[in-house]
Amino acid sequence: MLAIRDLRAAYDGIEALRGVSLEVQAGAMVALVGANGAGKSTLLNCLSGIVPAAAGSVVFEGEDITRVSAHKIARRGLLHVPEGRQILVDLSVEENLRLGALAARQRARRETMDTVLALFPILKDKLRQQAGALSGGQQQMLAIGRALMGEPRMLLLDEPSLGLAPLVTDQVFAALRTLNAGGLTILLVEQNARRAFLSTSWAYLLDQGTIAKDGPSAALAQDAEVIARYLGHLAAGEG
Amino acid sequence: MSFAAYQPLLDFFLLSLGFAYSQQVVLRAGVFSIATPAFAALGGYCSAILVQRYGAPAIPSVLLALVIGGVAGFLISIPLARLRGVFQAIATLALVQIVVSLAYYLEPLTGGATGIHNIPKLVNTWHLLAVVAVVIWFMYVLSRSGVGRAFDVLRQDEMVGATLGVSIARYHALAFIISGALGGLFGGLQSLYVFTIEPEMFGFAFLTAVLTYIILGGPRSVLGPIVGTAVMVALPEISRPLAEHRQFVQGAILMAMIVFLPHGLVDGLEVAWRQRQARRLDKEDREKRRAHAVAGP
Repeated sequence: MLAIRDLRAAYDGIEALRGVSLEVQAGAMVALVGANGAGKSTLLNCLSGIVPAAAGSVVFEGEDITRVSAHKIARRGLLHVPEGRQILVDLSVEENLRLGALAARQRARRETMDTVLALFPILKDKLRQQAGALSGGQQQMLAIGRALMGEPRMLLLDEPSLGLAPLVTDQVFAALRTLNAGGLTILLVEQNARRAFLSTSWAYLLDQGTIAKDGPSAALAQDAEVIARYLGHLAAGEG
Repeated sequence: MSFAAYQPLLDFFLLSLGFAYSQQVVLRAGVFSIATPAFAALGGYCSAILVQRYGAPAIPSVLLALVIGGVAGFLISIPLARLRGVFQAIATLALVQIVVSLAYYLEPLTGGATGIHNIPKLVNTWHLLAVVAVVIWFMYVLSRSGVGRAFDVLRQDEMVGATLGVSIARYHALAFIISGALGGLFGGLQSLYVFTIEPEMFGFAFLTAVLTYIILGGPRSVLGPIVGTAVMVALPEISRPLAEHRQFVQGAILMAMIVFLPHGLVDGLEVAWRQRQARRLDKEDREKRRAHAVAGP
């Protein structure tokens, strides 16, 4: 569904991506794990067209989107939920959701709003409230819900667990697994490696702008080097 | 006092409201354009010249003023597509200067510094009311549509807009076109109402007045410009000293609003109301839960 070949990009003159290649099969839920500054967010920004690629190619559903502008990529159904949620705090929850439907254009369906509210019932009670008044977890749900309004064929998620309590993170990941079970392809960027391995089938490790390792998530979670670098001693004990 | 005494004030309010919407629509889309006086001047000279020099009828003249304003808005949006914030403001201010200078220099056409006088008065209160009603309806439909939502997201965060499928360049151009068309339309109406047009009418005073309407009322809601314009038009009439120190009062209001109510009166109250609502619902929620906990499962 998504194939990246030797992608390179620079951010403020710093080479953040130094030849990244990865692939996401249709219907898969894939994790991209890495330390701070490994280039995870740059990679997602590059896929969604916000950061221009210096070299390499991104092919989405058989079409080259490397040089396609950001809004057109979103309209093709490759939707990005940016880091830090980025909901519009001045608008109501409902207005935020309706914004998401802009990307869907002629693909927009009436029942999507109900689907989103069924997935995140808490948003239903807060439809008329200002989005800025929501808790962090609710804002993350709103950001995901807004992307769903755009009828995505594939979702790019940047650190959905950032700043959330473990219990709320559970809820968010449960929703993501539900979406994936319903057929939505998901590429998930996470710093919380353990959480990412638990929820995905395949994982890539990004290190200093290149893919250091990839494999089935369950296998990576057992890999000695990965445990040492990303999971720490606690995880090794649990493993 | 009879209504007739207030009629010129009402007319002035209606014309100002049109310019206020022309200013609001760009701000709503996150474009810091102050080109409304330029659009108003283009439309104003268009209808004044057509009607006074060539005896053209009112409706086509005003419609042409609207089209010229819209085309000017579109044209200015192209070179300005990469500018943001204060640079947009400076570039659009330059456009105002260019248009006003042209009005001075193209004397055979525009009458230069003395302008054009004895323009037939073809526009009355009812015409203005009708046009303003249509404009308010248009702004209402726009604000409820996908276009209004796209403007909102671009004002708050362009990058988020792009990830949601909003074309920044296209919607900014659209905002400029609507702003230009409204500016041109009301400029055209104004010429056929006030008998006279001269370059000085589109100077700094006009620019700050129009900006004040929106900063006072709010950049987002349809009601904002109505409130902002009504207050600013009525203030000098309420008391003599306010009228004498108009510029000072205007400046003081601008500063107070920016410091205390940066969203403007209407948008600011709307935000405050929503926050109160949210707190109330939250409290109810907590009380419900507490009652449930006390009662036990």
